Amino acid sequence: MTSIKEQGKQRAAVLQGTLDMLILRTLLYGPAHGHQIGKHIQRTTNDFLQMQHGSLYPALHRLEERGWVSAKWETAPDRNREFKYYRLTDKGRKQLLVEESQWKQMTEAVSRVMWPIVEEN
Amino acid sequence: MRWWQINKRNADLERELRADLELEEEEQRERGVPPDEAVYAARRAFGNFSLIREQTHEAWGVAPIERFWQDILHAMRAARRTPLLSGIAILALAVGIGLNAGVFTLLNSLFLQPPTRRDPHSFVQVFPRYAGWFLRQDQYSSFTTEDYDAIRKRSKAFEDVAAWQVSYPTLEDGAPNVTLMATCNYFHVFGIDRPLLGRLLASSDCSRGSTVQVAVLSESTWKNELGGDSRIIGEVIHLNGSPFQVIGIVPSDAANFLPGGIFVPYTTVPLLEQGRDSLNSPDVPWLAIAGRLRPGLSRADAQAELSTIMGQQDRAYLQRQVSAFNRKSTLVVTNGSFTQNPAIRDRVFALMVLILGPLTLILLLACCNVTMLFLSRTVTRRGEIAVRLALGAGRGQLARMLLAESLITAAVGGTLSILLVYRVPLMIMNVISPRQAGNVLMIHPDWRVFCYLAVLVVMATTISSLMPIRAAWKLDLLTALKGREGSATVRSRTTSGLIIVQVALGFVLVCAAVMFARAPSLVTGMNPGFDMHHTIGVPVKVDTSAANHANARIFYSTLESRLLAIPGVQSFTYASLGLFRPVPPTEVRLPGQTAGQGKPASINNVSSSFFSTFSIPLIKGRAFNSADPNSPNADSVVVVSQAFARQFWPTDDPLGKSVVTPDNHRLTVVGVAADTQSETFSITDGPRLYTLRDPATLEGRLYVNFSGDQKAVEKAIRDTVKSLDRTQIISPETIWESLEAEAEQMRSLARIVLIMASIGLLMAVVGVYGVLSFAVGQRTREFGIKMVLGADRVAIFRSVTGQAFRNTAFGLFCGVALTEPAMWTLDRFFASALPLHGLNTFILGVSTLLLAVVSLVAAWLPALRATRVDPMQALRNE
Repeated sequence: MTSIKEQGKQRAAVLQGTLDMLILRTLLYGPAHGHQIGKHIQRTTNDFLQMQHGSLYPALHRLEERGWVSAKWETAPDRNREFKYYRLTDKGRKQLLVEESQWKQMTEAVSRVMWPIVEEN
Repeated sequence: MRWWQINKRNADLERELRADLELEEEEQRERGVPPDEAVYAARRAFGNFSLIREQTHEAWGVAPIERFWQDILHAMRAARRTPLLSGIAILALAVGIGLNAGVFTLLNSLFLQPPTRRDPHSFVQVFPRYAGWFLRQDQYSSFTTEDYDAIRKRSKAFEDVAAWQVSYPTLEDGAPNVTLMATCNYFHVFGIDRPLLGRLLASSDCSRGSTVQVAVLSESTWKNELGGDSRIIGEVIHLNGSPFQVIGIVPSDAANFLPGGIFVPYTTVPLLEQGRDSLNSPDVPWLAIAGRLRPGLSRADAQAELSTIMGQQDRAYLQRQVSAFNRKSTLVVTNGSFTQNPAIRDRVFALMVLILGPLTLILLLACCNVTMLFLSRTVTRRGEIAVRLALGAGRGQLARMLLAESLITAAVGGTLSILLVYRVPLMIMNVISPRQAGNVLMIHPDWRVFCYLAVLVVMATTISSLMPIRAAWKLDLLTALKGREGSATVRSRTTSGLIIVQVALGFVLVCAAVMFARAPSLVTGMNPGFDMHHTIGVPVKVDTSAANHANARIFYSTLESRLLAIPGVQSFTYASLGLFRPVPPTEVRLPGQTAGQGKPASINNVSSSFFSTFSIPLIKGRAFNSADPNSPNADSVVVVSQAFARQFWPTDDPLGKSVVTPDNHRLTVVGVAADTQSETFSITDGPRLYTLRDPATLEGRLYVNFSGDQKAVEKAIRDTVKSLDRTQIISPETIWESLEAEAEQMRSLARIVLIMASIGLLMAVVGVYGVLSFAVGQRTREFGIKMVLGADRVAIFRSVTGQAFRNTAFGLFCGVALTEPAMWTLDRFFASALPLHGLNTFILGVSTLLLAVVSLVAAWLPALRATRVDPMQALRNE
């Protein structure tokens, strides 16, 4: 049972930052429920990022806990059933900007190491 | 997210996951997957449902609480599966915790709580301490009437200030009764506003210059001493022969405890104290003071203000040149509880430690028993535990699980013990003193008691789960999983340790019990070196101040002649030292020595007939005779004790030698008296000097020697004293009778200690038996193999009892090591009050024998069972 906890921690450590960012970015298009978010990320990346439900739902609840998204049960337009829709809050929007710039810095830093620009004199 | 909303959150999550799963399923179907396969496909795509749920719970941050709750539920199920075992464990802990907390409740009410129940925060008691004053220098003392008036008049911090003094007058013709001479606002300050019957003291009862002889009775005095008739209001009772009209009854539950049974106005002090008018003496400190703070003021404010007032008083005394002329006061301000009383604080704490110490041992014994039960449960469950470990359960988690089981047991035991918490205090009070029990009826467990209870529960939980956790951690996974039960044993060190601890704790308790049980017979059975059976103390109290000196002289001389006229009375004597109380030694020098070079000795100033009255034999020389000069100015003769002679002249003949007393009198030794045991029970007195009393000083206690019928003589003495002064109602007793009364009190105390020790011993025996049964059960296979290899039953029996014997011996050794410091404390604080002196061979011998026998008996049955092991059976189980 502890192994579950530890695994969760490890995965969160690797993915947490990017997953949060991806979810927030997805919600920028409008409210969506968990399944839609997962599917969207998967589809947009051409199935490159396999969405693990085991990290998606904890991440959603974590974001809700922090007040970056809000959740509400609403009827889906195409199906006659209620889903839990998440929507971005103002706080979430600001957080998205922060995470985006952090991610940019990160990728720039990584790429500078990986593909250094050879300066020609 | 709050943890108590967890159910709501859970349902929400469940609904969310379900909805998304169904959606996935629909999508799968729309994609053309057959309906019955779509369900599985959706589940595959979704992943492990409960895993997702658990991981989401982690995100909520409530997982630890959830896990704890699961542990508790699991523990409850485990406890239900073994009801007998759990029942015994709970019972043991309930008794252990209950006795502790019950006694603590009593101590809490008596010592820790302030006396008042109404708004204790504003209640203040004040203790003064004086320097530069010959009266009670550097001791906590009381206030003079003038101090009280000054505080009352000038203090702004106090709403009201009450004062009182305790006296012990005789009620009617009976025994002395604790009486409070109090200011008439006493009840108000102590938060007692409603009488049970009649009225309380009113301010008009206390006006100075008049003596209003009224009395308020406590409920218990009214019921126990005066029959509890409600028509008593308006009746007259007599205190020291003076009439007092009963005006009211104060209920027992009005305060945490009532310090007395009768309350009279403080203006009546001359009536109760044989004419000593402390009220109108400017320099006699006699009043204790307590008050109520004004709202918003603190004790520190009161302290500052009172110090100023007392400083002004000190200066006023300096100008007036009365005997308190050089007084310098310091004050301590407290909440009125005994533990804050600076004069007795240390003794109260020592007493609490001494009372609670043995009780803690009982709790520890209970914990040992519970440990054993859990340990055996852990061992029988080792298969299950091994599976858990193999599946990846962490050690911490395992420990939490076992801890939860202990916690459940201790918590249930603790809850049950609350029953005892309400019962034990009154039971103990009734055993010690049924008369006093009425004064402390209202023993309520308060927050302190419940905190103490919680601490005990936590302690019990931790202690009783340590060993099982260790056993579970040390579990060898491989063998346990293979099901080779026999090889997964608990180390014999663990079982030995448990036996040693239980024997040691049992030993301490038995020592205490033996000591207390022997105390009463020691008191009455001792030979102090003087005749206790034919010496009667005559406790007259006479005002011998200069103003009354002539009267007092007449009283004494008349009394002496009338006493001698009583048939049977042979002689009387005065002695300055009392019996069986500690005597501060003074410095006695040899001629030529300067102050500081002498040696300590006690000085008893006695009449010439002292030695014949007390029947103390003279070893050498002679006793005093009537020709010896006894005026204070002449150098006179002296009789010394054997101890004194040994101390001052180890080799020479003491007769004819000289000594110098602190007041610079040179005295010649004429006789050596036999040593006595008059200060402390069963301890021979140190060096003692007997000086001849000057009859004109009227000092000392009066003793009478008689022959014939004791009761008749006692009655005659009593009547003689009463006929001379009707306020002197005394109950003359032989020294032996007064000791017997003391022994009776000790017996009741001993009974309590005996009951507690019996409970402790029982737990120790059951514990040792349990440990050995367990160990024998563990070693069944070993015994089987030994037998097959040729060991006979005697050898097996010996090996089990041998282990028990070694452990018992070591346990006894540890017990002695534990007892010694406790005895030392007891000796240090209570040697003068109880005849308990150190760890002597008798106590040691009896306790050792008792415990050795008992633990060997406890070892007998398991050892017998070990010999009955059937080798075939034992090996087939392999």
